[in-house]
Amino acid sequence: MSPRVRLTVLQMLAPLLAIGFGALVASGIILAIGKNPLDVYGLMLRFSLTRADSVAAIFFKATPLIFAGLAVALSFRANLWNIGVEGQYYVGAFAAAWVGFAIRGLPSGVHLPLAVLAALAGGVTWALLPIALKLRRGAHEVITTIMMNYIASALVLYLLADVFRDPAQAGTPRVRTPEFAPNARVPLLRPALEAVGIGIPEHSALNWFLPLGVVLCLVAAFLLARSRFGLEVRAVAGNPTAAETAAISIGRVQFMMFLASGAVAGLVGLSDVLGFFGYFDIDFPKGLGFLGISVALLARNNPVGILVAALLFAFLDRGAQGVQVFADVPREVITILQAVIILAIVVAYELVTRYVRTQRKREAERVILAPVAAAAGEGGA
Amino acid sequence: MIDLLVSLLNLALLASAVRLTVPILLTAMGAVYSERGGVVNIGLEGIMIVGTFFGAATTHLVAQAFLSADPAAVPVIAPLVGMLAAAAAGMLFSLVHAVVAVTFRVDQIISGVALNLLAVGLARFLNILFFGVATQSPGIQGFAPLAIPGLRKIPALAPLATGISPVIPAALVLVILGQWVLVRTVFGLRLRAVGEHPAAADTLGISVTRMRYAGVLISGALAGLAGGYLSIEQGRGYLEGMTQGRGFIALAAMIFGNWWPLGALGASALFGYFDALSLRVVHTGVPYQFITVLPHVASILVLAGFVRRAMPPAADGIPYSKEEV
Repeated sequence: MSPRVRLTVLQMLAPLLAIGFGALVASGIILAIGKNPLDVYGLMLRFSLTRADSVAAIFFKATPLIFAGLAVALSFRANLWNIGVEGQYYVGAFAAAWVGFAIRGLPSGVHLPLAVLAALAGGVTWALLPIALKLRRGAHEVITTIMMNYIASALVLYLLADVFRDPAQAGTPRVRTPEFAPNARVPLLRPALEAVGIGIPEHSALNWFLPLGVVLCLVAAFLLARSRFGLEVRAVAGNPTAAETAAISIGRVQFMMFLASGAVAGLVGLSDVLGFFGYFDIDFPKGLGFLGISVALLARNNPVGILVAALLFAFLDRGAQGVQVFADVPREVITILQAVIILAIVVAYELVTRYVRTQRKREAERVILAPVAAAAGEGGA
Repeated sequence: MIDLLVSLLNLALLASAVRLTVPILLTAMGAVYSERGGVVNIGLEGIMIVGTFFGAATTHLVAQAFLSADPAAVPVIAPLVGMLAAAAAGMLFSLVHAVVAVTFRVDQIISGVALNLLAVGLARFLNILFFGVATQSPGIQGFAPLAIPGLRKIPALAPLATGISPVIPAALVLVILGQWVLVRTVFGLRLRAVGEHPAAADTLGISVTRMRYAGVLISGALAGLAGGYLSIEQGRGYLEGMTQGRGFIALAAMIFGNWWPLGALGASALFGYFDALSLRVVHTGVPYQFITVLPHVASILVLAGFVRRAMPPAADGIPYSKEEV
């Protein structure tokens, strides 16, 4: 096997090994609660992959994870740690919700884009302070973004409960905004899919944010690989000193990438809020931002890999529902499985990277030293 | 205005501030050990979560075992074993961080983040296993509280002088011990050397890996202890999410305290005060949601260096490998 082929095989193998290791650890836990791991995994696969409603649910669950994974990856690609996707998507989703219920009578072609713009603006706003403090004052963005998550959660709670609570729900335990104008909601994918002969269950909320997320990942992949700015990003991440020598402003590149990350983060909750709920509720899904970190790590910050990783995590999530209902296995087993996969995958990637580095070094030594050795051989003869 | 000042300084509030300083302080001290050895530990929040569960669960189980045999011993033995179990669980859990970040040299922030994800799932799962529900344990009894002998007779000082958890003086002892260990002992000097200049320490025959493991494991034990205090002494039971980001706030306290135990004490007291304030409905007309985020806002201000410029150990956060020096 040539070194290049061996390298590709290794890189493909690493995630599979990590998933296998995660499954092994989870098997131990499943055995400990007196169940048969093979039965549980079999049920999980059958439940998730052979039912039409499950497949539709997986794609629906993958939609926010695609945005979340991409948002996290964009910051990671610029050597920045945006742990604040969680807060940014909460603010973004609420901003979109506000546009959805506060404005009436706009045509669909205007109202929906306006809601999306509000979400982008919300995400960017929430990302602005951490990156500004990082570049101006050296405040580490890991902790500031985490703190911003708590502040976002409190702010949205305040706006929801005290300012914009639907008056029609007064006297009920429901804390939520008024319903959105129908034109602010995103169209479902079902009609388009049926037009091309793919049938999906009637109640599926699968919507146009899925293709948008896919396109966004492809665009990001193209820009990072081919554009001038993408080259700058790779330079800043790979070798900051060299980038600076080449007159690339590290601060500017990091600033742009962090805001891009915040903007994409703003879109995370839209598939749920504009495609499914139609109002913003106090129980709006939480934790998608943290799952985005897992997705980005699994995909190694590769935008196309994020599509695969998001589907895998959505599959695990759906499977967790299945095993909880039909095998009486707590779904938390799958949460643990996900975390172990992440730990295993980062170790596996690290080992591959280190292996590649030593191989390259050896290769370089051979190329450099070969003529010397040859010359020495001639001299001796 | 006077009313506001009085309400900001009343003794009940200060007593609550002291109580809430402890979990931040213990975790911040843990962070000091870890980062003095050169390992950033974002996973402290997760370690605290593990500590809250194991602390409460162990206390509950031990109390049940002792209830029939020797009821009088319950308020001493059960919380004590609970605290020790919390520390042990935290230490064991932090071993994951040490293996991934020190041995395999994976980026320390990634490893810490993964640890936090793991902790949430683990605590929920174990709680289901032990107590049938995901989010809370049965109520438990903490330590019998102490009172300061001379002062408890004065009614005005009662909030501060009575009802003191024995963990509070223990934590203060740990601070002084920590300061002494880091400044005076061979172990402390070696730990700091490894965090400042691992290559130089390595040349002198100090095992960088062993010292970094020690730093991370101590941080795990202390964060576990902090979690145990939260669930045993503060919450009287485990409740999902009861750490409320205190593990992260502790990191800010460590930075504000300039990576020293004594500094962490001062900084934690500040955050403990904000925490106490955030739990109290102060009648100011400000919506309570804004008051609850006071500790988080304060953390951001501290990190932004509006108070003081940070001076971390030189090799903090950088994995060390012999061959790549």
